[in-house]
Amino acid sequence: MKILIASFAVVFLITFLATPTMGAGWFWDGGNAIGFSAFAGLIYLTITSAKRVDVRAHLLLGYGVLFVAAAHVFWFLLGDAAAVEFVKVGAPDYMWLGIVSFLLLCVLMTIAVVPDRVRVHKNYAMFRYWHQVLAVAAIASATYHIVVSNFYLGRWYQGLLFVAVAGAAAFGRPYWITLKRLEIVPNSIFLLVSVIFCTLFVVVRNFPV
Amino acid sequence: MKTVTAILVVIVLLVVVFGSPFAGDAPIHDYHYGSLEPILPMSFAHVDHMQENCVVCHHNYADNTGGGLCMTCHVTDPAIWPLFEQQYHALCRDCHAEKAAQGVDGGPPRECMACHLGDDFP
Repeated sequence: MKILIASFAVVFLITFLATPTMGAGWFWDGGNAIGFSAFAGLIYLTITSAKRVDVRAHLLLGYGVLFVAAAHVFWFLLGDAAAVEFVKVGAPDYMWLGIVSFLLLCVLMTIAVVPDRVRVHKNYAMFRYWHQVLAVAAIASATYHIVVSNFYLGRWYQGLLFVAVAGAAAFGRPYWITLKRLEIVPNSIFLLVSVIFCTLFVVVRNFPV
Repeated sequence: MKTVTAILVVIVLLVVVFGSPFAGDAPIHDYHYGSLEPILPMSFAHVDHMQENCVVCHHNYADNTGGGLCMTCHVTDPAIWPLFEQQYHALCRDCHAEKAAQGVDGGPPRECMACHLGDDFP
């Protein structure tokens, strides 16, 4: 639970380091807060999987993270009639990387579940290797999508910190593995924490001053 | 999981092709302002921008490049047309965002539909 709160707190606090009250309206801020929640969930999944992972809990929370990431995508696609231009040819590269990140999540989850896992990977070690590679690629593309879109992370040090957090989660395995086994929270807790952080994010940025 | 992925992809494709059933009026992606390629319409009112220095947008007043309406060059000149979206987002959206960062109501900083429905929408 502490790691989950820490993941959310770090991700959301970085957005508040500069211009904490700058908002783009509840709709836009809400959709992006959902995206930040999905990213925090991805970070949490990565950190907690370093040592003797509870496979079923990891899988179920993976579905939860994918659900929140999908909510971020469909929030904008269904709510803003012009946002669909961002999934067409000619969209900015940071939007394409967001799509790539979402598709990587889908792929890495699809080929992680039996029977597809057995069809795709020769053995468990090979699966573990490629699962980590795809997870790192998903984190990297999501980080690019968030940092380069450059609204809530408008200052250089915010971008740098965000990249550092993503890098620590993706490549900090030698450290995370030294921690004791970390319990993975159920989806109900993950979704509750997401709702709380999203609400705070939207309220702070849209509270009339 | 494959079924879930397939459903998500199909929904995205349906929204791309037919548009969102929940978003209300949609911009018409077409050859606006004599553009070389289909673009989104844009809203702009001089009356909302009277507090800005003219040369912030009308660069030709200062550097003598181009003339007439913005779109005369920016969507019709093959040399500068590829920079159109990048330049206009940098000029309009980033200025709105800077105002928002200063705590000033300076127009929509991000919401696409706030600018892209177009002035001539029926």
